[in-house]
Amino acid sequence: MGILSKHVGIKFGSPAVRVLNDISVEIKDGEFVSLSGRSGAGKSTLLYVLSSLDNPTEGSVEISGQDITKMNSIDLHRFRNEQMGFVFQFHYLIAELTSIQNVLMPAMKCKRDVELRPRAMELLEKFGLKEKHDRYPRQLSGGEQQRLAIARALIMKPKYLFADEPTGALDTVNAESVMKILQECSTQDKMTVIMVTHDPDFAAMAPRKIVLADGKIISDNATNPS
Amino acid sequence: MIFLAIRYLLERKRQTLLTLLGVFFGTLAFVAVSGFFKGFQGFLVQQLVNNAAQVHIEIRQDYLSDHVLDVPFFSNDLVHAFWNPPPAGVKGYLDIQNPQAWYNRLNADPRVEAYSPTMTAAALFNVGLISVAANLIGCNPNQQAKVTTIADYMIAGKFTDIAFGGNRVILGDELMKRLGAGMQQNILVSVGTNSAVPFKVVGRFYTGSRGLDLQAFAALNDVQRVNKTPNYVNEIGVRLKSYLDADALARSWAHLGPERVESWGDQNLNIQSVFAIQNALRLSMIMTVLIVAGFGIYNILNMTVNQKRQDIAILRALGYDTFDVVMLFFAQGMIVGVCGTVLGLGSGYLFCRWLQSLSFMLATPSNPQGHLHISLDWVIYVQATGLALLSAAIASVLPARAAGKLTPIDIIRQGG
Repeated sequence: MGILSKHVGIKFGSPAVRVLNDISVEIKDGEFVSLSGRSGAGKSTLLYVLSSLDNPTEGSVEISGQDITKMNSIDLHRFRNEQMGFVFQFHYLIAELTSIQNVLMPAMKCKRDVELRPRAMELLEKFGLKEKHDRYPRQLSGGEQQRLAIARALIMKPKYLFADEPTGALDTVNAESVMKILQECSTQDKMTVIMVTHDPDFAAMAPRKIVLADGKIISDNATNPS
Repeated sequence: MIFLAIRYLLERKRQTLLTLLGVFFGTLAFVAVSGFFKGFQGFLVQQLVNNAAQVHIEIRQDYLSDHVLDVPFFSNDLVHAFWNPPPAGVKGYLDIQNPQAWYNRLNADPRVEAYSPTMTAAALFNVGLISVAANLIGCNPNQQAKVTTIADYMIAGKFTDIAFGGNRVILGDELMKRLGAGMQQNILVSVGTNSAVPFKVVGRFYTGSRGLDLQAFAALNDVQRVNKTPNYVNEIGVRLKSYLDADALARSWAHLGPERVESWGDQNLNIQSVFAIQNALRLSMIMTVLIVAGFGIYNILNMTVNQKRQDIAILRALGYDTFDVVMLFFAQGMIVGVCGTVLGLGSGYLFCRWLQSLSFMLATPSNPQGHLHISLDWVIYVQATGLALLSAAIASVLPARAAGKLTPIDIIRQGG
């Protein structure tokens, strides 16, 4: 089923500035896609529209066959909680919670935090944070914070992982570590991963590369484009 | 969300404590000030309700006005009458016209606890060369003791000692002092132009009110005889099972005879108006304190919403909806409100108990230690809880709603 956008456009402000223009793209389940382009190309905006965080002013977006632009707020938030994971350039961890509590935040929404606690510990172990499960975000390094944010995104075993410049604030070593995790999500867990990056090397690590300019797709190496 | 709300509050200990102190002091002030005012009012009401009858059935004596005789003399066609001199005087009766009908009515009414017919006469008390004018009240002491608390104020003798008749009198402390009389002494009592009659002093009472202590009590028959008005009664005092029924009963009884019927409230309207002003002052003062406490919560939460925009963004991205975000901030305000209220109520109660133990007032027979009268009425605590929580809820819901309206994409675009 995957993600299907049909003639998506988005305009901001007054006078209106068109940020996305007639984007139609299909991303199949399990694909690892990079969105790249220069600043202002619309890559982050496309990611937010595809992930339901932003609403297009034109067109529609279907995820797993459901038009998310027409979903009511409660269904949409449940859908996000159960099926989507998010990683941002800045980790957006909650400073008042420990590592394990941050990882379990999505599970707390659906009252599955007790059930998913072992999985949270597994993820922390996998990302080298098991010993720091009771530490607060301020007690972790930048790379550890971003890995913790990825663990939080993966706790609910989402079908879709959206990453907006996940390596943007990291040094090379940590950035490569994060990229390796994202690749594993796609290859091992068969997750659909959509990643925005301005780094051509990291973009090249994704099998499918979409390049945007001025709100339009100018290049898509998909083998089976829609 | 409660879990995260508590974590937020614990992380900002000083702000949380300051906000909590606002609600705490507001609630404490409500309990203490209300307890003080209501206690004072309750004390006065109890004095009025218990010391005297709750409903007074009295002879009606209306003053004549300038034109009261216009119609009887000149019929309705008259435009204006000039009287020289104008009519003057009092129109009415010297006694209750049909006391037996009242007794029957009062005996049959289940709301009546007791009643006491009295005959009050303006008398001159003499001991040797000393003369003092004072009211002599004739009553059946057993009935009078059920209607008023006069028997509790006896400091010598028993109030029922006058029941035996034979011209026995009980004097108020002030009257006794002015006469220089002693117990078991014979004094002379004269009413109007009637000749003086000897009475034996068999008791003494002290209420603390100089006006009341300048009165004397004797058996009803004795006073009627001295006054030369056999079987006359000029007042029936009534005690009710619930003093709160007094106003309604007085209004309904007023239509049943020529007598004037007044409740204890009617006779103390000035005090009730003072109570109303006190209550208005009390509530406005306390509301101000609680509104200030509410502003404290509002300011802190508003600041928190601004500081936690990134958290709101990620919570929304993780699947938390508008209601969750609203609850996250609303819960913080309400946790502070509830904790402040509970602590304020508890401390307010202890503070009131402490105030109760202080001796501020002059000692009176009913309050020999002179302790302050502080009300611990549960209504005060319910009102304090309601107002404090309402204040906290209103102060919390505004920033919480503002937080709920924030969209993750706006926050992310603005860089948190």
